[in-house]
Amino acid sequence: MLESLAVEAGSSESLLAAEVKGLCRQFLLRTQNDDGGWPYLPALQSAVEPTSWALIALTNHPDTFEAAHRGLAALGAAQLPDGSWPPRPGHRLGCWATALASLAIFLQEGDCEPVRKGLSWLCDSWPAEGGAWWRVRNWLRPTAKVTRQDSSLRGWSWTPGAASWVEPTAYCLLLLNMVPSNLHPAGAARRRRLGEAMLYDRMCPGGGWNSGNPQVYGVAGERRVGPTAWALLALKEYAARTENQRSLDWLEEIYAKISGPASLALANICLEAYGRPQPEFEARLGPLYAANGLLQNVPAAALSLIALTPHDQPSTFHSPRRSSA
Amino acid sequence: MSYANNQIMPSFQRPPSRVAIRRAAGYSDDLAALIQETASELGFHVQGKSVLLKPNFVEPDPRGIVNTNPAVVGAAREAFLRLGARSVVVGEGPGHERDTEGIVETIRLRDHIGKLAGKFVDLNLDDVALTSLRTRASRLKELYFPRTVLGADLVVSMPKLKTHHWVGATLSLKNMFGIVPGSCYGWPKNALHWAGISQSVLDINSTVRPDFAIVDGIVGMEGNGPIQGTAKFCGALVMGDDPVAVDATCVRIMGLAPERIDYLAKAGSVLGHVSERQVLQAGEPIGSVRTSFEVLPQFDRLKVA
Repeated sequence: MLESLAVEAGSSESLLAAEVKGLCRQFLLRTQNDDGGWPYLPALQSAVEPTSWALIALTNHPDTFEAAHRGLAALGAAQLPDGSWPPRPGHRLGCWATALASLAIFLQEGDCEPVRKGLSWLCDSWPAEGGAWWRVRNWLRPTAKVTRQDSSLRGWSWTPGAASWVEPTAYCLLLLNMVPSNLHPAGAARRRRLGEAMLYDRMCPGGGWNSGNPQVYGVAGERRVGPTAWALLALKEYAARTENQRSLDWLEEIYAKISGPASLALANICLEAYGRPQPEFEARLGPLYAANGLLQNVPAAALSLIALTPHDQPSTFHSPRRSSA
Repeated sequence: MSYANNQIMPSFQRPPSRVAIRRAAGYSDDLAALIQETASELGFHVQGKSVLLKPNFVEPDPRGIVNTNPAVVGAAREAFLRLGARSVVVGEGPGHERDTEGIVETIRLRDHIGKLAGKFVDLNLDDVALTSLRTRASRLKELYFPRTVLGADLVVSMPKLKTHHWVGATLSLKNMFGIVPGSCYGWPKNALHWAGISQSVLDINSTVRPDFAIVDGIVGMEGNGPIQGTAKFCGALVMGDDPVAVDATCVRIMGLAPERIDYLAKAGSVLGHVSERQVLQAGEPIGSVRTSFEVLPQFDRLKVA
């Protein structure tokens, strides 16, 4: 089928970056569902995360006004009364996707009620770990000391009732960094301080992050590209800190071994944001793209498009932090 | 259909299970023939059915010991197609690595099943349906499951033989965590941890019980598994249509006692047989492939004296 990135890409050993950029853009436009949202994979149900990434990636692209307008309407319709977004329209509980949906809407529309409600929900949503009673109970459990982390530093969880993890915390911090502080709800400054501290606490020894277990049974956790890039983007204000620099060094080291195009794009977005652009990025993305056509993954296509058009982006990852409106 | 036909049945009402242990010296052996022969021998009928292979793909792993070896996955696909399966799709939803393509590229899955389009599904991103759980071991009550899983005629769990630093061992039952979609529950699927790993294993498998299990025990992992342990050669594939009996057999091969692994003990009451007396062994006897796996000190209690 025509919208298949795999079919289009699979015929070539390699593709030029410009071709990949065009394919990703066309793929995003073609895979938009009738309800205005985007699915994770073509022809599936719309979901909040891919809709958000598609909107972010298409921001400022020519001839995408109508698609963006429909996407925004779809996101608006999916917002729950409490201000959160569920993973997919019709699901009952809000989740981590709230930060991405709020970010996508803010980049398109600026300050508006859905963004404020989303921010309020995020700032009122605490992870399950780290409260006083939890700490006492955890201290008494025999398995409590197998991980090395300060659970009083609470970030954000993937789903309500679960613990803080690196990526959802980074998404929330990116949103808080993007939205001017005078629009923040009460308590946002504290949440941001805690979230930033939590990320540094969960950094793996030597720099870099995994999903949130820096050390288990005294053994350093394996670092991963995605969480490292997201954490660094969220902590970009502290670029000069040793932790950031060590983590960037690791990301640069591992860069040549990255085998997934989405990770490569994300690593490039991060390194570019820190002023360490990778000259071989475009040459490497083409062959990786050609291998599987991104497995037709909409967020991967969106991240690739963002990485290939850094100067077209609405400062999503490059803005000066904590500006006021 | 695996999901639709699955019924909770007390294990004492179940007939004895058959588990086959097959020797394999390495991943270049003719594993497809081995799997085809064993599936036929055990009466696992795939003719005209849609089959979902659920391997354990965790993360990019340069050492090649974390993930189910793609040669075993490719061999299973080939075997079931030869046996007349209508379709054989590989599906996985890695637990903490979002870049699934990065994982399958690192392990070169393409070299074993060909182009991935139409043959591989990222279960983290698939469409989902809210599904009531058939047991209430945890407080979850319901979970979203991928439609690819719910719609498959047959689900085959294909884990790697590994120790696990939270639950002792991870095999075909624990492997089913990978069908829970990250797009709903995150990376990791932390809601399952908070609901209790053992309890969640039971609830997931009571709802989508694998129809067949193929454990990659050619090279397993001991010590600080399931990610940071060390390679352990065992030289066997373990297969059967009762995932509980398969897992219990694997645990015995590892020199551990399955009755002391919490989720296996629980599964032994409703999902299949743990008791050795209720498992009819085919192929090699356990003793001929038994390989003592090192475990973390807190799991010393699992060791068979």
